[in-house]
Amino acid sequence: MEHYNMNLTLKVWRQKNKNDQGGFETIPAKNISSEMSFLEMFDVVNEGLISEGKEPIAFDHDCREGICGACSMHINGRAHGPWAGTTTCQLHMRAFKDGDTITVEPWRAGAFPVVKDLVVDRSAFDRIIEAGGYISINTGNAQDANNIPVDKHKADLAFAAAACIGCGACVAACKNSSAMLFVSAKVSQLALLPQGHPEKDSRALNMVAQMDKEGFGSCTNTGACEAECPKEISLTNIARLNRQFIGAGFSSEK
Amino acid sequence: MKWSQFFNTSIGKKLLVGATGLFLCSFVLVHLVGNLQLLKNDRGEAFNAYAAFMGHNGLIQFIAWGLKIVILLHAFVAIQLTFSNRAARPVKYAVNPGNQTSSWFSRQMAIMGSILFIFIVIHLAQFWAKFHYGDMPTQTYEGMAQPLKDLYAVTYDAFQHGWVVIIYVISMIALSFHLIHGFKSACQTFGLNHKKYNGLINFIGVWIFGIAIPIGFAIIPVFIFFQ
Repeated sequence: MEHYNMNLTLKVWRQKNKNDQGGFETIPAKNISSEMSFLEMFDVVNEGLISEGKEPIAFDHDCREGICGACSMHINGRAHGPWAGTTTCQLHMRAFKDGDTITVEPWRAGAFPVVKDLVVDRSAFDRIIEAGGYISINTGNAQDANNIPVDKHKADLAFAAAACIGCGACVAACKNSSAMLFVSAKVSQLALLPQGHPEKDSRALNMVAQMDKEGFGSCTNTGACEAECPKEISLTNIARLNRQFIGAGFSSEK
Repeated sequence: MKWSQFFNTSIGKKLLVGATGLFLCSFVLVHLVGNLQLLKNDRGEAFNAYAAFMGHNGLIQFIAWGLKIVILLHAFVAIQLTFSNRAARPVKYAVNPGNQTSSWFSRQMAIMGSILFIFIVIHLAQFWAKFHYGDMPTQTYEGMAQPLKDLYAVTYDAFQHGWVVIIYVISMIALSFHLIHGFKSACQTFGLNHKKYNGLINFIGVWIFGIAIPIGFAIIPVFIFFQ
């Protein structure tokens, strides 16, 4: 692939803190290599801002290899930018052309308040996990492998659901700011395996209750979450969550 | 989780919208089959006899009142969800992805539903209220002891006006757009998403409920207008 340099115009959301009104700032990005990642482009722009004595753009990032879920930006109207199945850190500047204007916004959801610029507080996801996204086994040694038989197909489905990195792109992409894809991935990954199966009912009920409490919207099955998920989590997980929630709700004795 | 809590969760409310929606899907199918008798060239004998039966049979009347409650429940819970969904994003995006990530139909459910609700009110006032509580012409047919209320003639009169026909056709376009997403979406809400059945669900949702049935309804006023 041909390597090229480009000059871009960034329209970036700047917001000092949670209480600040915020607004877009136009910042030029000069001499950007097509081989840079989107975050490396931000690093270059921030170096420039710092040398001019200005405040650098705040953004979340950690592993920069597409597995941690820290990076979170709405780029030209798309969660994690224009490439399918890609986190922002794995989005490369060859996705853009010389002279492009790129609009970058933070995730927009009441449940994800902006902390600063492009950084949002995603602790609502942590509280949903605390409500039931675990297995209550506290002590003991690890069992021998193959002590508990697991169907290969179910193991594959659980693994595909477990690929969720909790980045929040599903919420960001959904017109209702619904967290159903995230919750369904977490519920599915555990419920499909024998270790998670015993607590599947209380898990589904408690995690959905917490999801509602956090102020996420409801799912209208538009499929935007699946289209934007960097880990390509399937909508079949949401159907599974619905089945589990219905089953648990109809049979719960409390 | 108690029932009251269950149906107050987001998924519980969606189940109510989905269940009432699927019931309304079954209704439009039955309603269309009955209404197609309007196209028979028999001075309304078949249609008026059908209307008399539907208007007087106890079980049908019970279901008909239930239907009105179902429509109100469907609309009420859907409006509630729509408002809470809007509230879940207090600050909007400057740039939206449009059709890149979701179908246009799936994002227009509230607006199409609102058009349909207004249409249903007009439609009931025009025919149902008149049939039950208004002045109706009657028509006598050979071999019948009593004259029948001539809903056939009332319908033919109503669709002599071009603007009435246009309102009906626009409403059926709204029905089409609503059901193209609605049927599939209700199935997903009930957890029905399976490789073996998705093709069939998509076919029924898009081609039967989304296209064939609304066209079937729209043909009636257009046909009568050009009679």
